[in-house]
Amino acid sequence: MPDGTTLSPAVLERIASLKTTDIAIGIATYNNADTAGQVVETVQAALRDPLAGQRGVIINADGGSTDGTAEKIVGYDAEDAPILHLSYPVLPGQKLAVPDHDVPDKARAVKSILRVAQQLQAKVCVVLAANLRGATPAAVSALARPVLDDQFDFVAPYYTRHRFDGLVTSGLIYPLLRSLYGKRIRQPMGGDFAISAALAAHYLLPSVWGADKGRIGADLWMVTEALNRGFKLCQARVGAMSHVARESSPDLSTTLAQVLTEVFDLTVRDVSIWQRLRGSETMPILGVAQEAPPAAVVLDPKKLIESFCLGHKNLQPVWGVVLPPATMLVLKRMAAGQNGAFSFPDQTWVRTVFDFALGYRLRTMNRDHLLRAFTPLYLAWAASFATEMQEARAEEVEHRLEALCLAFEAEKPYLISRWRWPDRFNP
Amino acid sequence: MWDHINKALGDGVRRVLQGVVDFLPGLVILLLALVCASMVAWMVSRLTRAVLRWIKFDKRMEALGFDGLADWSPQRSPTLLVAKIAWWLIIMFGLLVGLAGFAADLAAKIVMQSLAYLPNLLVALALLAIGNLLARFLARGALIGAVNLQIRSAQLVSLVVKWLVLVITAAMVLDHMHIGGGIVKLAFAILFGGVVLALALVVGLGWKDLVSRIGSKPTTEQPKDESSTLHRL
Repeated sequence: MPDGTTLSPAVLERIASLKTTDIAIGIATYNNADTAGQVVETVQAALRDPLAGQRGVIINADGGSTDGTAEKIVGYDAEDAPILHLSYPVLPGQKLAVPDHDVPDKARAVKSILRVAQQLQAKVCVVLAANLRGATPAAVSALARPVLDDQFDFVAPYYTRHRFDGLVTSGLIYPLLRSLYGKRIRQPMGGDFAISAALAAHYLLPSVWGADKGRIGADLWMVTEALNRGFKLCQARVGAMSHVARESSPDLSTTLAQVLTEVFDLTVRDVSIWQRLRGSETMPILGVAQEAPPAAVVLDPKKLIESFCLGHKNLQPVWGVVLPPATMLVLKRMAAGQNGAFSFPDQTWVRTVFDFALGYRLRTMNRDHLLRAFTPLYLAWAASFATEMQEARAEEVEHRLEALCLAFEAEKPYLISRWRWPDRFNP
Repeated sequence: MWDHINKALGDGVRRVLQGVVDFLPGLVILLLALVCASMVAWMVSRLTRAVLRWIKFDKRMEALGFDGLADWSPQRSPTLLVAKIAWWLIIMFGLLVGLAGFAADLAAKIVMQSLAYLPNLLVALALLAIGNLLARFLARGALIGAVNLQIRSAQLVSLVVKWLVLVITAAMVLDHMHIGGGIVKLAFAILFGGVVLALALVVGLGWKDLVSRIGSKPTTEQPKDESSTLHRL
């Protein structure tokens, strides 16, 4: 393949012998020997039962695992669920920047999976993370069915999660993207999704999937590309699937910096699109709602508030470069504990996120410094959320998050004004 | 005999008058050169100030990350600093012209030596600027990193990093300008060694518990805490 993805003669021979398939299921791996086998078993079970009657092929794209992941997966090869193994070259620097639940250069892994799926003329390509826990055959089917039966082009996962699980998405990524693109996709960076043949063909166009897609994660780019090009999107309830964190997973500030880099890059790229959009519309959620898992996560707001206060004590000169005086005043009051119970007002949180996006665009300081300096602010929001929602029921949490999303949408004119006149509009 | 005395006296007076006559034009030239240079310097300084204020030089320097320049400027204005430098350069030039009026050889020698030293000076200035920028960049990175690691003395860490880089820079600058000779290197080695030793002690003492835990796996599964959930997507 021209972009460095290599197919062994055995795989080429296998593709030739298989000729076509209905479902291609891609699993991108990197040192996932602990969990990858279980994921493959789940996929094979899905192909035998909920997706029975559909011919399926499992495509494993491995980023240079050294723990025998590839060998383990190939060991599951079966006649009714054959496995194709691909390897793609990964630079040492990309291995250093592997996010929590991801593989190095995931964009290349996904691209190679899509290429093989296209060669096999698959109607749907499901991509799953190799570090999944709690995946079921029904979940795999839930992702594939909307494309096979309802002609959707992109199916995003809709996980059932504990109220304090995935707070980066709940309090930051989801509301921000919803306000920018006007579409309510609850898990835009889920890591598990399904793509139609038409959308896969679109992604693989050289003019679309250019050299700049080699960023850390491809998920968000794929979602926004599908949204911008008018493809049909939906969400599928996949239950309480979660991604097992690596032992050597990056710290919070690194994860936040990686995620925000991706989001803010898209914000800068799609400025002409999101400036014209107001409000948001719901996206179909298919499948049966399940109850959230029992409380497994305990957040101690006190520790988070301490982290914020430490940040406030030391990082004011850094924050002051991007945040306007009004926001700095609110932060000062929060750190001093003047508002009774610790609370990060929605409007301040939203404006803080928008101001950091603007600071990222204007390069007011080194971008890595800027994004890492955001960590104590995120912890402050998490503390505020945990304080408020400690005893709340699932519906109350959803209502609270909906109110936050509406605050993001209401404050969008602030972002637009600051984006257009960063010097003149500085409240 | 009186003739001899008169002649010697006359010669002496002539020589003194000759000396005064020889000296006066040079002095006049020096004064004239300084007056002219002062006038030109004043005009250039005013012009520089006006142009730099017009292009908002101070703000631009701050935006480009050279806000440390204000600390070294009169009234914290880099514009005034540049205007002052321009003023002094022209005054120095006028002084050289004036000195050339006294003794062309002396002025030529000064000019040649200054020109020979100029590359060293420019490289030293570049080193100083880069070192200053690097110190600020690393200090800010250390501050943010330390805060995110919940280190209470984050500002101290940042300050240590900043001054470490500044001390290295200063040593390089002085070495490049051939000032201080071996004393600078020796002082730097002692200072740097001391700082590294202090840091080693701080890290060693502070992290001894962490190091002792490495290698011993927990016997029971640890409960989930913030660190595992706060950054899950």
